[in-house]
Amino acid sequence: MNELIPLMVIVPLMAALLISAFSKLNKVTKIFAFVVAICLPLIPLLSNYGLHYFGGYEPMLDNVTGIMYHPAITYSFTFLQQIIICAVGLLTFLVIFIYLTKYKKVSGPYLFLLFLGTAAVTAMILTDDIFHMFVFFEILALAQVGIVAASSIDFSYEMALKYMILGSIGSPIMLLGIGFLLALTGSVNVTDIALAVHTGLIDATSPVFLLSLALIFFGWLYASGLPPFHTIKSGIYSKAEPHGAALLQSFTVVSMISIVIIMFRIYSSLPIFEVLVVFFSILAMILGVSLALTQTDFRRMIGFLAVGELGFIGLGIGLGTNFSITAGLFQALNEIIITALLFIGFGAVVHATNEVDTRKLGGILAYHPKVSIMLLIGGLAMAGVPPLSGFQSKLMLVQASLSCGFPEISILAIMVSIATFVVFVKTYYTMFLKPKPNDLDLEGKEVPKSMVFAMGVLLIIIILLGIFPDVVTSGISNFVGGIL
Amino acid sequence: MAQTQLAILLTSAALIIIGLYSAIFIDNIIKKIIGISFIEEGANLFIVAIGYKAGGVVPILMPGMDTSWFAANAAYPLPFGLVLTSIVIGASTLAVMLALVMVLYRRYGTLSTKVMLADTSKQEEYNE
Amino acid sequence: MKLYDQIFDVVKQFRKLFSPGPVTNADVSGSITAEIFLIVSLVLSAILLRHVNVLLAGLVTLIVAILLISNIPLIPKFKIEQEDSLEKMIFYAVLVLALLVTFMYWGGNLV
Repeated sequence: MNELIPLMVIVPLMAALLISAFSKLNKVTKIFAFVVAICLPLIPLLSNYGLHYFGGYEPMLDNVTGIMYHPAITYSFTFLQQIIICAVGLLTFLVIFIYLTKYKKVSGPYLFLLFLGTAAVTAMILTDDIFHMFVFFEILALAQVGIVAASSIDFSYEMALKYMILGSIGSPIMLLGIGFLLALTGSVNVTDIALAVHTGLIDATSPVFLLSLALIFFGWLYASGLPPFHTIKSGIYSKAEPHGAALLQSFTVVSMISIVIIMFRIYSSLPIFEVLVVFFSILAMILGVSLALTQTDFRRMIGFLAVGELGFIGLGIGLGTNFSITAGLFQALNEIIITALLFIGFGAVVHATNEVDTRKLGGILAYHPKVSIMLLIGGLAMAGVPPLSGFQSKLMLVQASLSCGFPEISILAIMVSIATFVVFVKTYYTMFLKPKPNDLDLEGKEVPKSMVFAMGVLLIIIILLGIFPDVVTSGISNFVGGIL
Repeated sequence: MAQTQLAILLTSAALIIIGLYSAIFIDNIIKKIIGISFIEEGANLFIVAIGYKAGGVVPILMPGMDTSWFAANAAYPLPFGLVLTSIVIGASTLAVMLALVMVLYRRYGTLSTKVMLADTSKQEEYNE
Repeated sequence: MKLYDQIFDVVKQFRKLFSPGPVTNADVSGSITAEIFLIVSLVLSAILLRHVNVLLAGLVTLIVAILLISNIPLIPKFKIEQEDSLEKMIFYAVLVLALLVTFMYWGGNLV
């Protein structure tokens, strides 16, 4: 049933449009949003693997040169896409569930933005067409800005405008890089471009080809929030509503891996590509974690940690072997879930205390034990404590860098994990364990049950992935074998 | 007429460099946004220039045209299609940016970037 | 003795980093951890240059180590460069773009 493949994008997109059109009917909107949100993780599970050619234009064989051309926009759906779309769909469902239960009167435009972002990242990871990916990348940027601007936190408009201005430098530069590729190959289909590069139709050492790598790479830095964009990325996480931030970070991770997989397929023959990816990943790890250590706003701290963890994904891709890329993609899946758990959990703390400064908090463990314990496990998973899922992917990364002959990178990865652990323990102590300050009122403030439910679901996935990582890694490894 | 194409390419390079310059050095936020949208226009212009063909015809196959003559002389249509999409996205991005500027102008009463988009982390961290 | 005074002075300088508001033990210890982490990790990543040239790696590692240790506290300086103002963000973004393009166009084949 390959008809289901385009539906993964069309369903959230149509839902977004319908909800914003009929947002005056409060009850209908609520039920409709809930039903669509349940469908989102189910569609990829029901669909078969395969390709979908939009408009039905099958690939054409050029009889003279014997090369296949792909005239249609192609969606390719394999195990990696299935697992990632399923994770994002589940997260969207949980976020929309939290949002619907939190407010009596729902806002149509906000639901529109959530569904639009989900549709955009789904299209980005599915597509095999570099310009199609760029279009949805821009739509995603608009949705992200909307989610940030819609929050009621102070200075959220400023942060949204900053993100937008930086985005309007980053995206056109990426478009320019796509233009260079188009000029060199005459195609925007990634399979065609990669074939042209690997069969030697394009000179891979020509400066124009290298320049296109530089430009697309800069766009990727903006999409994934690696330095120099780590400050703005952590900023927008801290300025969005907590459940919105949980979704925003998953958008970032998915757009990061979808762009980097495309870049890898085109540029993997250039050694400089891997050097660049590893360089910026190491920079992100160092800067992200060291800045997280000095934050007093815990939302900002999680934002910087999320950026630092992105470095691990980049590291796995940059090392360039089958095992390391599998580890990197597995880390991406883990990070989507773990960071979402942390954002939702700390969002519950904000909800209960109305306070974001760690210096003014304390003693929450006695009042909200469920949230505290689940947050503790989530933080341990992020730092890479066995037997949780973060441990498995980080162990794979350390092994991969050792087997590639880079023991320094292994040491660095372990050090970053330890520093992440320090950040988390420090924050956990100041927020949950130290005596409660006198002017902090915690009596009679409940955490919404939907948040606890969402955290529970995510926690179960973390523990299951930690105990049975092979379920995911063997499938991802097959996918990576296909693109290498 | 490669000179036409070269002129277009130089223009697009100039637009991008002007845009990057204004992104750093101009303080007025509206002027900065206008400058930044130059980058987008430069990239669009570059892609249009790719599809340029000296003496080419519009890539629409009319009845009665010889197919092989058409294939040899028509301009490359893909870049134009792409640019059309890209222009629409650029316009919507611009609209959202200017809308945010309008809201912020009402709050701050100034258009200076240094005031409007300064570092806010100190102010919000510890407000008693 | 001078280095000892300098390290002691670091703690005093962190107070400015967290003002306004009180400075807690956890924040200061976190900042000191960040300081040490920054130095060690940057030195460690400088060792990666040994895949290019062993002599270069030794030289760069020494220079980086001396520069970083003689310039403590680093975290306040780092934080000022990575604050939230748009000017600094755009400046660094465009700087990275310029470096990337220059390096790739003329030196992309050197690696």
